[in-house]
Amino acid sequence: MEEFFQQLTNGLAVGGIYALIALGYTMVYGVLKLINFAHGDLFTLGAYLGLSLLTSLGLSGRLGPLAGLLLLALLVMGFVALTGALLERAAYRPLRQSPRLSAVVSALGASIFLQNTIMLLYGARIHVYPQDILPKVAIDIGGLSIPLVRILVFVVSLLLMGALYLFIQRTRLGTAIRAAAIDQAAARLMGINVDQVILIVFLIGPGLGGVAGLLVGLYYGQVNFTMGWVYGLKAFTAAILGGIGNIPGAMVGGLILGVIEAMGAAYISVAWKDAIAFMVLIVILIVRPTGILGERVADKI
Amino acid sequence: MKRTVVWGLTWVMVLAGAGLGLADSIKIGLMAPVTGSWASEGEDMKHIVNLLAAELNAKGGLLGQQVEVVLEDDGGDPRTASLAAQRLATQGVKAVIGTYGSSVTEASQSIYDESSILQVANGSTAIRLTEKGLKYFFRTCPRDDEQGRVAAQTIQKMGFKKVAILHDNTSYAKGLADEGNALLKKDGVQIVFFDALTPGERDFTAILTKLKAAKPDVVFFTGYFPELGLILRQKKEMNWPVPFIGGDATNNPDLVKIAGKDAAAGYYFLSPPVPQDLPYEKTKAFLKSYTAKHGAAPGSIWAVLAGDGFLTVTEAIKTTKTTDPTKLAAFLHGGKQKISGLTGEIGFNAKGDRVGEVYRVYRVDAGGNFVLQAK
Repeated sequence: MEEFFQQLTNGLAVGGIYALIALGYTMVYGVLKLINFAHGDLFTLGAYLGLSLLTSLGLSGRLGPLAGLLLLALLVMGFVALTGALLERAAYRPLRQSPRLSAVVSALGASIFLQNTIMLLYGARIHVYPQDILPKVAIDIGGLSIPLVRILVFVVSLLLMGALYLFIQRTRLGTAIRAAAIDQAAARLMGINVDQVILIVFLIGPGLGGVAGLLVGLYYGQVNFTMGWVYGLKAFTAAILGGIGNIPGAMVGGLILGVIEAMGAAYISVAWKDAIAFMVLIVILIVRPTGILGERVADKI
Repeated sequence: MKRTVVWGLTWVMVLAGAGLGLADSIKIGLMAPVTGSWASEGEDMKHIVNLLAAELNAKGGLLGQQVEVVLEDDGGDPRTASLAAQRLATQGVKAVIGTYGSSVTEASQSIYDESSILQVANGSTAIRLTEKGLKYFFRTCPRDDEQGRVAAQTIQKMGFKKVAILHDNTSYAKGLADEGNALLKKDGVQIVFFDALTPGERDFTAILTKLKAAKPDVVFFTGYFPELGLILRQKKEMNWPVPFIGGDATNNPDLVKIAGKDAAAGYYFLSPPVPQDLPYEKTKAFLKSYTAKHGAAPGSIWAVLAGDGFLTVTEAIKTTKTTDPTKLAAFLHGGKQKISGLTGEIGFNAKGDRVGEVYRVYRVDAGGNFVLQAK
């Protein structure tokens, strides 16, 4: 039983990261019906930017660890959000009226472009975050030993998701985003600036993805330029699992995917854990084609 | 006209034959990748063999004759290698040292065998090379399955009774894991865990939690360093003190960077020794003169093993007092040969594989250095 709970916490910690990245996929899909394949690479960009800023500015040394990290997270979020907005401008907006397939191809191209840019800038070798930024303490809760950093990562992702949920549900802008997601033409008729909404979506989604990259870098300590692929794939799966286009769905999907993986590894086979996770995805999609919390059928792609 | 050509050719052949017969040097071929992607290995091989030949000639050579090293470039490419082998075969070499890559060696094997030329490969570890029953083929490097054998021995020598094995499903890592698994089981060691992780992932806590529940005395990891670094780091965070032992794919300084010094400390791995760690006085002296001449020590053990190939051939010629490849091969296969090489004592089994252990155990110390362990 103790092992079960240990695996549960392992799964939730990984799932929190998946959920944070999945939000970016699901928000863009909700508004544009476009899978932003470059999202995984924006996540990678966040991890690398975090590393550069951390080593060049020495923030945690000057401002103390907590304030330093907070400022670092804000900087990374800002830079990656800007990159996301630029990406929208350069790769997606010109194709707004084109068939959807063109936009998907453009997204794939953007992904390859970003990945190779990162590789050329930083090199193909593995980069390592400086050690000892975060305290390496494990907390004992009822016989479970959970590293403090894992709890921190999980709490930060929950906070970010909660803030996003409130933003979408309670603010004027959030309402505009929801309206644009339901029907762009009608939203435009109601006086909503849809282009602005899309821009905001492309600021928030990549921003969250960038922070997820920073969290992965800080916690796992090791980044390489292809890391976005695995995380992007898992987060995309999580978004579909929860119902793509649905924000609480992405959170639930991410957490569930993390837990399924951990349980699959624990009780069936470590080597088969991905196969198990994808099998669960297929079963859920057969039973509920819209995903766990999804409302609309994803009609294309 | 025709007649003249025929006569001319005959004379050339007679002269060439006489030239070979009267030659006052023993020709030894060296086939090395001096160009191509393994060029640094090839350069080191060339320098080492030439230096050893110069030392030997300074002491009077072999059987009263000078030794001449004939270099041919294989480019690290099988097709280039077969041409290089044909050129060497027509130049009257008695033996050939080389080469580095397994597929490159394989392309040249039958050419040397048909020409009855002794071949001593230095970096070709693929198992099948010595499973073909070739009479003139030897190698100074270990085979891919030797690492598994040494790992099984080391684990038992350290007194571990319950072993967990973790690989990553690549052909190298799976092969090593299977080999170790079979050998340990045969010796009655309990294998409490045998599974694979997914390379490229970052979170291995689920695997570690499962491993911990299996309560192993030691974990044998056969994969590569990026995953291992993360595993050691996450293991440290879990406060789980189980020792890890790994294969030569974890022999990379980046391992310590990823894991952090405190998490990497105490990790054991198997690897052929780096040249600077070779404990023999003779080797140290040789490396010293090598460094004096070329500015740096050879980069890897594989080039040093080419030097061992040269010592094998010359020592065999010296002992048997002949350059007849059949007699030399019989002598080397005999199992009585004790040749002192740069990487220790050299001997061969009936297949032409090197007998004895090239693999050594390394341990990461508190400062993150890889320290060679006493046998």
